Amino acid sequence: MVFNTLTFMAFFATVLVLHSLPLPWTFRKVNLLIASYVFYAAWNPPFIFLLWISTIVDWYAAQGLVRAERIASRRAWMLLSVIANLGMLLYFKYGTFLLDNFTALMASMGVHYHAPKSDIVLPVGISFYTFATMSYTLDVYLRRALPARNFLDYALFVTFFPHLVAGPIMRPTELVPQFETPRRANRQQLCFGLGLMTLGLFNKVVLADTFLAGAAERIFDRGKAPGLLDAWTGTLAFSGQIFCDFAGYSTTAIGTALCLGFCMPDNFRFPYAAIGFSDFWRRWHITLSSWLRDYLYIPLGGNRHGPARTQIALMTTMLLGGLWHGANWTFVVWGGLHGTYLIAERRLRTSFRDYRPGRLGLFGMAVLTYFLVNITWVFFRAKDFSTAWTVLRGMSGFNTTAKPILPTVFIVSTGIVVGALVALHWYMRERTLESVVARVPEPVLAVAWGLMAFAIVISQGSGNAFIYFQF
Amino acid sequence: MHSFISNSRVTAPAARRLTASDRPGVAQPVPVRDIPEQPWPRIMLTALVLLSALTGAWEWYWRDYGAVAAYRDDAALWARQRRRIDSGEGGATVLVGSSRTLFDIQLPVWERLSGRRPIQLALDGTSPASFVVDLADDPAFTGRLLIGIAPDLFFSGFEYQRSVLPYYRKESPSQRIGKVLSMHLIEPWFAFYDPDFALFTVLRRQPWPERAGLGGRSVRQLEVMDADRNTHMWAKVTTDAAYRQLARDIWAEDFGGPPETDAQKAEDQRVLERQIDKTASAVAKLRARGIPVVFVRDPSAGDYLAFENRDFPRAATWGVLLAKAATPGIHFQDYPQLQGYDIPEWSHMTLESAERYTAALYEIIEQKVPPPDGSRW
Repeated sequence: MVFNTLTFMAFFATVLVLHSLPLPWTFRKVNLLIASYVFYAAWNPPFIFLLWISTIVDWYAAQGLVRAERIASRRAWMLLSVIANLGMLLYFKYGTFLLDNFTALMASMGVHYHAPKSDIVLPVGISFYTFATMSYTLDVYLRRALPARNFLDYALFVTFFPHLVAGPIMRPTELVPQFETPRRANRQQLCFGLGLMTLGLFNKVVLADTFLAGAAERIFDRGKAPGLLDAWTGTLAFSGQIFCDFAGYSTTAIGTALCLGFCMPDNFRFPYAAIGFSDFWRRWHITLSSWLRDYLYIPLGGNRHGPARTQIALMTTMLLGGLWHGANWTFVVWGGLHGTYLIAERRLRTSFRDYRPGRLGLFGMAVLTYFLVNITWVFFRAKDFSTAWTVLRGMSGFNTTAKPILPTVFIVSTGIVVGALVALHWYMRERTLESVVARVPEPVLAVAWGLMAFAIVISQGSGNAFIYFQF
Repeated sequence: MHSFISNSRVTAPAARRLTASDRPGVAQPVPVRDIPEQPWPRIMLTALVLLSALTGAWEWYWRDYGAVAAYRDDAALWARQRRRIDSGEGGATVLVGSSRTLFDIQLPVWERLSGRRPIQLALDGTSPASFVVDLADDPAFTGRLLIGIAPDLFFSGFEYQRSVLPYYRKESPSQRIGKVLSMHLIEPWFAFYDPDFALFTVLRRQPWPERAGLGGRSVRQLEVMDADRNTHMWAKVTTDAAYRQLARDIWAEDFGGPPETDAQKAEDQRVLERQIDKTASAVAKLRARGIPVVFVRDPSAGDYLAFENRDFPRAATWGVLLAKAATPGIHFQDYPQLQGYDIPEWSHMTLESAERYTAALYEIIEQKVPPPDGSRW
């Protein structure tokens, strides 16, 4: 089920009513669990079995971890969880990719192998819930957390519909304790939660889908070589689209949970105001970047074994982080570029340890960061390298014979929306939405809320799936 | 009870909130969210009032423009009709084709004459070839098939709405429920809920200074659709001369263009042959199953007809199709009773004309292609 649909509105209204009834807490939790399964099954019912497999394997793995006394046994339970989850991910998400690459490798060695045609459907959200459940067993394995006290709380942690299919990727310690005591939003929380949902949907339906997606599609999907203006407009449009789409999803998810009385963590912190790439990754898809840091980068050695090991760990983490987004080498290059940026930044920090930039210097670095991030978005958005090079050539001004692609309205709307977005990020760099909203006069908030809702209505979004659903 | 949601009336929300990015390598604590100190219920109520007022004004504006509430012709509506074949109505008469089949064949008239309402699967701006193949591969379809031929779409293989087929095959329960809700709660009530009146479409139509080589306009709203995709021409096209002229001008943008190179001509010919072969082979499968098939070339007029005659001459297109498919066809130019209708923007009939045309066409089909089992079309 997608947030920006009538189906979700009807579903959520029903869940909200059921959750507000004066029923025992366990009964209401069962309601939430069933609702979450309905939420998932509404996309493709059979894939609910995968969710159950992931839930059950990790529940028993964590129980086994607690009972195990020998290190080898603990490792075995941990590996069971990792293999089961990554195995599902490998099969459904990377099966075709691995087979295609194997076939290509064989062909390069002169062996003509024809793989049987596969038609594997990627279960929506599998990358998100497998990471969430893995964090449960890994936290228990690393002795950071105790297992959940009852299966219902744990199953609800895995399945809780606001975060199920596209995050924020929750850790068990963030959510399981919230299920231990009865929760229901008061009027303030409910109304503010609905406000966050409106803001999230405005980002998705109006900004991402209505104003930005069209320009990106025309540049990246039509197979035409773009000139300088078109290539930059398409790439900037995508930079805005991917943020508004994903941050919109996260904000809607946070608002949805808040309406039910639960708290979810921030997933974005105005990333286009980042100064440098370590700052960018503290602001962009925070729950994924911190997951990769805690369960991949640090176990790989982190920064504890000298610069060379640190760089290897960084690059490995970013390459795998890229691959997490999709089974395509373009995503690996995207991750590789970010890894390179992070390594370069570390070296520069070491070389210019005493350099303290002024305001202008910081602004310049922020612009440079945004520029370099846009280069990476080309690989993220392009379906293949040929398209990526064509767009990059256009951005460099080398497609001199290119004919105009984007009508004026796309250029103007991208310029206004992305310009405003980056300016807003810069203004909000050291602020939170809540701290700013607390100071805004009541009528301004009411009008802004009404206008956002009106814009959602008249945009007539057709329920496009969120971009991150495909990951 | 300890609350994880802070709603303190004393402290303002913090300017910075810690996240997992600030806490490496530890168990992440339960998140805390601030609720800004504001009268949120009152703010929400005001926003709701404003939303209602603005939506009401928007609806009034479009109704004043001439818009009427109708069902939205999207992939979900098409899939609902296509599913009828899978759910016990496989013996029905099915109509595939492009917008002329939609506008010109009135289902109530057909139903009155045959006793059964056909399933309307024709699609705006889309060649029916892929849909004929789909039906040929579906053993559940055992009825009768009318294939509408709009030369510029069919023989060029243009498929503006090709995506409805994969949508129909993979439609999720959520999408199905969403369409049902929309068909009950929104579509029959709000005239503004139409892709032609969506925010970005409206913005796009403003007189922007256009870049060289760009500026082609998209086809404007011409139709009004019922829940079972029975369609008729929007009254504005017949009553508003300026709008009618606009519709003609938009068609005319496709009639000119620079002369094609030899390579382009050769490619066009290859596409044309592919379309004919693909359709002929699917029709052969259908006929082998005993399914009556008829091709229908609905009328066009004015510059549109001249364009079709020039770029898609009858002998080289329609004639070849009928010969290769070995299937009967009804061309409007061959029947006086299929001529002389009101086609305001050169491509589609008015409702009144479409009703008369449907009756005339039905009688011809009954005479020319009587179903072997003695049933009626």
